[in-house]
Formats: sequence, C-alpha cells, structure tokens
Amino acid sequence: MSYYDIDSILTDAEKIPCTFQVDIPDLGYLDNTPTQPLKAGTKVSLPLWLAEMLAIANTGDIEGKSFVTFDLPAALGNDVVQALKADPRAVPLRDQSAHFYGLATHMMELSEEQELAAVLRKTFVARAAEVALHARKVGGVGHKGKGEEGSNLGIGGAGEEFLRGLDEWERKLFRKAHDGAKAGKEWMEGVKKH
Amino acid sequence: MALPLPSGLTHAEVAFVAEMELVTVVPRQRLESIDLLGGKTPSLRPPHRTDLPLWLALLLKKQRRANILPPAWLHPSSLAEIIRRETRDDPDAFSPPPPIPSRADPSRPGFAARQQGLDSTQDGEDGIRISAPFRGSACTADAPAGYLPYHWLEVAEALLTHAGDDIAGATAGGTTTGGGGTGSSAGEVRGLLRDLVEVRAAKMRSSTARLEGFGGGLMSLRGVGAIELAESRGFVLGVVDGVRKVGASAEAARREDEEEEGGGVGGGRGDGFGEEESDEDMGI
Repeated sequence: MSYYDIDSILTDAEKIPCTFQVDIPDLGYLDNTPTQPLKAGTKVSLPLWLAEMLAIANTGDIEGKSFVTFDLPAALGNDVVQALKADPRAVPLRDQSAHFYGLATHMMELSEEQELAAVLRKTFVARAAEVALHARKVGGVGHKGKGEEGSNLGIGGAGEEFLRGLDEWERKLFRKAHDGAKAGKEWMEGVKKH
Repeated sequence: MALPLPSGLTHAEVAFVAEMELVTVVPRQRLESIDLLGGKTPSLRPPHRTDLPLWLALLLKKQRRANILPPAWLHPSSLAEIIRRETRDDPDAFSPPPPIPSRADPSRPGFAARQQGLDSTQDGEDGIRISAPFRGSACTADAPAGYLPYHWLEVAEALLTHAGDDIAGATAGGTTTGGGGTGSSAGEVRGLLRDLVEVRAAKMRSSTARLEGFGGGLMSLRGVGAIELAESRGFVLGVVDGVRKVGASAEAARREDEEEEGGGVGGGRGDGFGEEESDEDMGI
C-alpha cells in the first residue's frame, strides 16, 4: 500500500452506503435537494476515503454521535457472502467490484467482521488454486505479448468466464503464475539449443 | 517493487547454479588436474570413475573425452517409484529429499574442504538438519535411488540433452530386459520426468489450499526442487501475501485481545504466528 499505489487509490474511490446522523446545512445537494439542509437519517453513497474520514472523526461529535455511520457495500453484502460460501469459484468477483479484496480488507479494518474474514480467506485460497491452473493452461509460449492480458484471457476456452470474473488481486496472481509457467517453458526449450 | 526484476533466481540462474553439482564421469582420455578458482579438479585416468562438476563433465562429454554415469535416481525404475510414491502413497506431500549421508565422501582434491565442512555438521547427532541447497552433491553415481535432489530437474534435463546416449546405455545395461533399444530408453526417462513435473506442479497448486484455516495455515515445501521454486515463487508468495492481507485486520484484533487479557503468554503466541509467516517467506 504505497502512497502512489494506483489500486489503493482506486479502492478508496469505491462508494459505500452511509447514513448521516446529524442535520448538516448546505450539504443538501448530496441528496438532490440543494436548497435544504441535509437531514439526519439520509442515506448517501460516499467514496470510501470520505466515509472513513467522517466515520472515524470522533473529535467533532455532537451529543456523542458521529456524523456518519456506514454499512457494508453491496459487493460485500449478504447475498455475495452466501454465494461465496456455497462455491467461491462460481462468483464473478469483478462484477461486484474490480477491487473486491482491497475493498473488503479496508472495510474489515473499519469494522470487525469475523465471519467475512473467514469467508474471504477461504474464497481467496480456493480461487487461487483455480487461477494457477488456468495460468498454466492458457496460451503457448511466444504467442502473445506480455502486457496483453485481454488476449490471454480470450484463449482460455472453458475457463474464460472464470478468468473474466477475477478481481485485481487475482489478476496479479494470474500474471505471476503465468509468468512463472512461461519462464519454465522457455527455459525447458532453451536447454535443448545449447 | 521498485525494481522490475522478480524476487528470487530466474530459471537460467538456477540452471547455472546447478552446473556446480557433481556428477560421475568415466573418462576416456587422460587429463591432468586443472587449477581453478574453486579448487583443483581431480586428474582423470581412463578406467577410473571421477566426480566432476556438471559443467566440466558436459564439456568433456561434448568433446567425447568422457562418458557420464547418470545418477541412480535418474533410472526409469527409480523415477517410476518416485511417481508411484507421489501419486498413491502420499498424494499430499512432495517426496522427501535424499537422506543425509552417514559418512563423509572419500577425500576429493578441490572439493574436499567444502564436503568435509558440511559433513561435520551433517552427521545428524547434534540435531542440525541440513536442507537441500546446502547439502553435498546428490547427483553423483552413488547418490541413492528413489530420492530427488534439490537440482533434480536441471541436472536431468542437461544430462538428457547432452548425454542422452549415456543415460540410455546405463539404463539398458542395468535392466537386461529393457528391450526397446537405446533410443526409447532415453525417451522413457524423458516421459517419466514429464509425468513427475506435472504431478508435482499440480501438487504445488493444491498445496496452497492448506492456507484456508486461520492460524494453522502453513505450507510445507520440503523436497521441492530449485526449478520448481523458481517457477512457483511468484504465485506462492502472492497467495501467502494475499492471505496475510485478508487476515491482517482479524489478526490485529486477535492480538489486541490477547494483549488486553494480559500476560506474556498471549503476546508470545501472537509473535509465534508472525514468525511462522516470515519463515514461510524465507523458505521460498
């Protein structure tokens, strides 16, 4: 998580549902009512970085309440968690969020979700084995450039759908596993030449 | 991540390192001892077997000055035995690395010092267990059959490519019933090696599944060869790192709880978990 980590920045831009706990004047435009103050109890989707700031800014509490409370985003909602419990491989995580794990870990830092952590761990490990399998199968050596992951994914055939559902962490993992397998093949062919 | 280079050695580097493994040769010509930076090579006298580093053995083989005696584990029966063990007897673990030799090898000029230095600690009584890369050569002709040494794939590939006839000759001589002729025997070894590579690659992938549970997540990479490590390093490190990140908040909460409960016991356990993971990283 370096300062210039582009994935970290994009993760921070994910929207999460927030509920304002106090009336706030002049913020009505967030709720499409520019002329009125923002009422307490209004639900607004805020980017993660802003929600985090508001939620943990305890210093400005009014009557012991924080400005904002937040819920888990839809990507980490009950539906998704139940589906992941049933079969981690069958869920296209990318449809939920391109930065699914980043978002999830960030949310878990803000609020403790023991069950979510266990489910995520199982999901990640189960899908990682699948990712490795596809990374080894996909494509021969020398058919594709290094950077074109899109074209790699296209060759996958049966696994194509699965690979399209990978989030950014898993794509990185896929790239690493694939690079390893490719280097292995190249070396194997190189041995014969000299 | 500042450097684009991946961590660890690349395949070419691993193969280069593997060229220092000793193999047994039967020289066909006399050659005096050569004074090299790493020590003197033994002088070659034709009928006597000698152990040479792989690079020199291959050089002499290409010049038809020596024949290479393939190590015992490269014999088809040994490979078949290993495959059987990997697939049936113990489908979860990698086959164990070669056992530690019970006595020092006969003195070899040039390599004697290195061997003895290791062997004095290798005699397992003092409880020190020398693992694969720091062990003496396991690719000579008297290496035990049925165990894959650390550089098994590199050495086997090099020998198959450059000394295929020697492997075929050795296996044909060993098994009198091997009727297919010399060509098919080298092919047989090659095919068995391919099988072994595939079996172990699949095992490497599924071994990550053991990281599923909290706390007890530990991958054993005992007996994995250097090339296999080079190939899977990025993936395995990625998985371990991902699991660490997913569990980071839960782990931090757990540690806080333990500290609140007080006592050095809780803190000690937390530290133990951290060490486990860093050990994993180092092993790879």
